[in-house]
Amino acid sequence: MKKSEVDVLIVGAGPAGLAAAIAAKQSGFARVRVLDREREAGGVPRHSLHTGYGLRDLHRVMSGPKYAARYISKALEAGVEISTSTTALDWAGDLALALTSPMGLEEVSASQILLATGARERGRNARAIAGTRPVGIYTTGSLQQSVYLRHQEIGTRAVIIGAEHVSFSAVMTLAHAGVQTVAMLTPEARHQSYFPLHWGTALRYRYALRTKTKLLEILGRERVSGVRVATPSGEEVIECDTVVFSADWIPDNELARRGSLQISESTKSPIVNHLYETSRSGVFALGNLLMPIKSADQCALEGSSLLSKNW
Amino acid sequence: MAKRVAPHVRTFDVAIIGAGVVGAAIARELARFDLSILLIDAKSDVGAGTSKANTAILHTGFDTVPGSLESRLVSRGYFLLRDYAREVGISYETCGALLVAWSAEEFANLSKIQEKAIANGYLESYLVDVADLYAKEPHLGPGALGALAVPGEWIIDPWSTTLAYATQAKAAGAVLQLSTRVERIAQSSHLHTLHTSQGEFEARYLVNAAGLYSDVIDREFGFEDFVVTPRRGELMVFDKLSRSLVSHILLPVPSSMGKGVLVSPTVFGNVMLGPTAENLSDKSATESSITGLAFLQEKGRKIMPALLDEEITAIYVGLRAATEHSDFQISLHAPQRYVTVGGIRSTGLTASMAIAEHVRDLLTQAGLDLGKQDALPAIHIPRLGEATLRPYQNEPLIAANPSYGEIICHCERVTRGEIVATLASPIPPQDQAGLGRRTRATLGRCQGFYCHAEVRALLESKGGVS
Repeated sequence: MKKSEVDVLIVGAGPAGLAAAIAAKQSGFARVRVLDREREAGGVPRHSLHTGYGLRDLHRVMSGPKYAARYISKALEAGVEISTSTTALDWAGDLALALTSPMGLEEVSASQILLATGARERGRNARAIAGTRPVGIYTTGSLQQSVYLRHQEIGTRAVIIGAEHVSFSAVMTLAHAGVQTVAMLTPEARHQSYFPLHWGTALRYRYALRTKTKLLEILGRERVSGVRVATPSGEEVIECDTVVFSADWIPDNELARRGSLQISESTKSPIVNHLYETSRSGVFALGNLLMPIKSADQCALEGSSLLSKNW
Repeated sequence: MAKRVAPHVRTFDVAIIGAGVVGAAIARELARFDLSILLIDAKSDVGAGTSKANTAILHTGFDTVPGSLESRLVSRGYFLLRDYAREVGISYETCGALLVAWSAEEFANLSKIQEKAIANGYLESYLVDVADLYAKEPHLGPGALGALAVPGEWIIDPWSTTLAYATQAKAAGAVLQLSTRVERIAQSSHLHTLHTSQGEFEARYLVNAAGLYSDVIDREFGFEDFVVTPRRGELMVFDKLSRSLVSHILLPVPSSMGKGVLVSPTVFGNVMLGPTAENLSDKSATESSITGLAFLQEKGRKIMPALLDEEITAIYVGLRAATEHSDFQISLHAPQRYVTVGGIRSTGLTASMAIAEHVRDLLTQAGLDLGKQDALPAIHIPRLGEATLRPYQNEPLIAANPSYGEIICHCERVTRGEIVATLASPIPPQDQAGLGRRTRATLGRCQGFYCHAEVRALLESKGGVS
């Protein structure tokens, strides 16, 4: 098995990981390597064609793919080594990881390891939603991949589960695909986003925000035909052919847990101190692995700031 | 070896309706003889009905009804399938089971169950006291009183079992006819004519292994020996990170409070909770229910609270082909040259090879001449379990073909090499679910969020470069 050594090893080439790599390089670390299991680096912004990326970190606004490309080229210019199609399987020591890739198996040790593995939305199973298993069920993430990357046919009438920032992003993605959002459901008494964002999208895309409304069951055999919901005035069926599960984030904490790092029971994120260091000395966690969900620029700023705090 | 038949030939020595675990096992058993065999199924894949939602346990038969056909076939099938799994590469783990007693009544029942096990020829069970039980299963919820250990109960990969049978039957010359619904059966003095959605097929002998629809096929012959009532079983599968919580199959003890649910590791490295048991009238009602999922969560929280704090990866729903009889309903109708294999419960996976032998013998009683017997062609199917080396861990394999180091499905660590090989296999998957059963791709914690699009592209290009 190949063995190698670097100064800083970062798992996850999204905004947080790449920004941290650039910062590490700029602060003088010679060997900085970023791993990503995907074929391309860049993380989630690659799938999001909306504008709005880069405001707080790059001080200009651009689309997700452009934003991702900017960070990749900045990292490469800085001399960061980016290894894609490379999965960190497990720990091979306190400060070493076992990897697999088309190049074979490898063990990399480092003086510092940064976990920037991100977060995902809980899907229908993780939320234990009953009903049939028809075509037409997405998370915001899988919806964006289908619409922006694969240009797949979605449907005509969608119900969005959740009313957080990302739920409004789902409305825009659906509109881009020609799908009308008929309702946005939340069991809470109000949405959990900025009021202007809600008013703006509600006015423009004309959907109903249904508060105190809980999804009970998905209906339809081949294709989604509707959702049964519980409202303060009783149960009802909302007809739709698409359901998008948005928000309800779970950090991708597999590596953190395999390493027996201390995990917060409430957020399921690794517990870190003010320097972003986990319960293991030399291992750090950042980005959406910590308290999801933050915007890409917040994650990138967090990555950049590790520099001043740690090194 | 089975007779090879030309593609246009539509007359067979034996036709088997139903390519579930039982039908596929029968096809495999008969394929070693000088017979032409047709295995036919309405679905687009083998094992895509009741078989796909099996609880995946290799049963010793310790708790079957002593003296029943099920008892005999499960006991024998256990050893046959165990050896077969070793031979062709079906994953299994020898974890053993604990029947955990939660009440005085259940605790008192343990010794009765042990006596029943002995009556079934299973002699290795033993009682476990409460201290030893919590030592064996430290994450068990509070309140357990003791257990009966059944070390011979193992876990197995149910999907690969059906696939291996069908693959070997096909390699030996059997014809597999999928996506073909039998609509009507006409009989003459020496031939059955199956009128199907894909035209007519003829067979001298017929085996009904149609599972949920076995009573419907039986009615075609005027038999009304049983009625199939679909019994819904809902199962929850928990994240791989929960696997370390459970060491044994934790079985419920039958009591006056009804049948409980089990918590079991899977060979894929997950933990399963279930199943529910609810009689329905609709044979296609494979939706999960609000009450069923709530019931599982409530039961699971009592058995193992820490498990319920883990993420739910998947929810499976299966319909068992329950009948009004407790035993397997396997009967020969010699004048019609017809064997019914109905009422196969979840023990059917374990019993499948013994059922196949039994059906073979019944067919010969009806006059089928088996002819010369040959060894079946050797096959190997991809091992999907976590207890053995997976392709992404296999350095020489990756060196020979780097696509075995390219993980496509991150949650289950399935590589491009495995997906491409599966798409080129003798019984290739027709859809994402079929690919999932063969490789585990898309079945992990993200349920396809990361790899769905890539996998779909690979499926559509039949493994070509996407």
